[in-house]
Amino acid sequence: MLELQRNVIFGQFVETGSFIHRMDARVKIAATSVLIVASFLIDSFLGFAIVLPLFVAIGVVSKIPLGYVLRGSQIFLAFLVFILAFQVLFYPGDVSQSSYLWRWGILSVSTEGLYTAGIIALRVILLYYVTTMLMLTTSLVDLTNGLELIFGPLQRLKIPVNELVLVFVIAIKFVPIFIEEMERLARAQTARGVPFDEGGALTRARRIGRLLVPIFISGFARADTLTIAMNTRSYRGGRYRTKFRQMRASPSDWLALTLVTLWVLVAWIV
Amino acid sequence: MQSDGRPPVLELKGFSHTYLDGTPRASEAVRDVSFRIYHGERVGIVGATQSGKSTVVDSFAHLLRLGQGQVFYEGEDVAAPGYDRGRLRREIGIVFQQPDSQIIEDVVGADVAFGPTAAGLSANETRERVEESLNTLGLPYPDYRLRYIHALSGGQRRRVAIAGVLAMHTPVLVLDEPMAGIDPRGRKELLELLNRLQRDRELTLIVCSASLTDASLLCDRFIVLDRGTVVMDGPVREVLREADRLAELDITLPEPVVGAREMQKLFPDFPTDVLTEDELESELLERLGTA
Repeated sequence: MLELQRNVIFGQFVETGSFIHRMDARVKIAATSVLIVASFLIDSFLGFAIVLPLFVAIGVVSKIPLGYVLRGSQIFLAFLVFILAFQVLFYPGDVSQSSYLWRWGILSVSTEGLYTAGIIALRVILLYYVTTMLMLTTSLVDLTNGLELIFGPLQRLKIPVNELVLVFVIAIKFVPIFIEEMERLARAQTARGVPFDEGGALTRARRIGRLLVPIFISGFARADTLTIAMNTRSYRGGRYRTKFRQMRASPSDWLALTLVTLWVLVAWIV
Repeated sequence: MQSDGRPPVLELKGFSHTYLDGTPRASEAVRDVSFRIYHGERVGIVGATQSGKSTVVDSFAHLLRLGQGQVFYEGEDVAAPGYDRGRLRREIGIVFQQPDSQIIEDVVGADVAFGPTAAGLSANETRERVEESLNTLGLPYPDYRLRYIHALSGGQRRRVAIAGVLAMHTPVLVLDEPMAGIDPRGRKELLELLNRLQRDRELTLIVCSASLTDASLLCDRFIVLDRGTVVMDGPVREVLREADRLAELDITLPEPVVGAREMQKLFPDFPTDVLTEDELESELLERLGTA
């Protein structure tokens, strides 16, 4: 049956109580940023090979089952393969005659094309993995507080930090809610005779279209309710509030950040 | 009602379900639930929130992955390979808790017509069914046929959802919290309507609710769920006799039963299986007469 929540884990938070879960959100966001920058700077397979153990370590320490992450990334990975096929077939760069493996009209497969596609694939997977892990291991409250504290100084430049962070966090939070909603709609419509659990991939995809209008209507209704709820509780942005629980980074948090940074530097220099 | 030799309409055998099983977000909804529902029965599935009512309802029409346990419809295992799920869903009409989720089209008439059309009925027959269903639910066909569903009130949308299911003429009708968001007068009308339909069409009626107020007037038998397991199963009066236990399970009791429990302070032998105010009154008078 339609169990979308298994196949899309974007925006979900899974509490396992691991070291990564307990890390200070600011440090975690900083480490994530370091890894994101690294994914753009590293441009050799050797570099990626060096950071690979770091990713394995993050996965193991977080105690989040690998199978769960992989299953929840199926749709993303399928999309990635689709995009990369184009990258290889229409590779625009200079290719020496000897490196063509296959050629047909404007379509071709060359070693250069495969190499570039491979690097891009690793880059995107790294990016996806890091951001997914951040969300899987950080509650939304921590994520909000962390981002507000990091970007707080920009408030002096009259940049509405709290509002921007809020919009960002709500956008993320709405993804799992939408997915749950889609599941509920699909189930109710199946009961009425639209068989979401039958037919080929294309037929199923076309049926999903039926859900778009109700999803949007419920999405707007939800946003409306949220606005009213925030207004009635006098929300004015976080800067007027004091926090009961202060964030404090422990020495081991800083150590982890330093380790990640050094590791990434090595991979980049190589 | 089980003497006619036919197999039960619905049977659950050791049915268990865990949402997102095998992931870190797994949550167990029901565990080892078994019961049989026979033709023409009026059954209330009652329990507090999180007791597993909606999961049980979804299992009837095979809307969940059926892992542990079996679900039988008319004696056939619905999870058997090659089983016609389309037919199953044409014969079990479900009105869900949130009426909006089962609305498919944007105009009232088209939505109510969806089921009959999908079942292959002719245009004429479909039109008749739509007209009949809408009129029955107090939404006059000529006035409501072309109205936009999303512009209707919550109570009206619920009626449209019910009409959409009624138009299918299903032998089994399942309603999940049918009275939520309906005003007292609408409640009374809906109660009368459901009772009438049940009699006229010899429906098997299944009503899910956390409150026994309406369920006790609609059903002959209660299946009580608590945290995913069946804790009581029997005729309405028999279940009501254990009013204290029901209250402990966080189930809203009918008004007369609440009154009867109060009376027990004065008359320890006062029965709690009173369905109406009249019954409560006569029990009270009887005791006052002897006192």
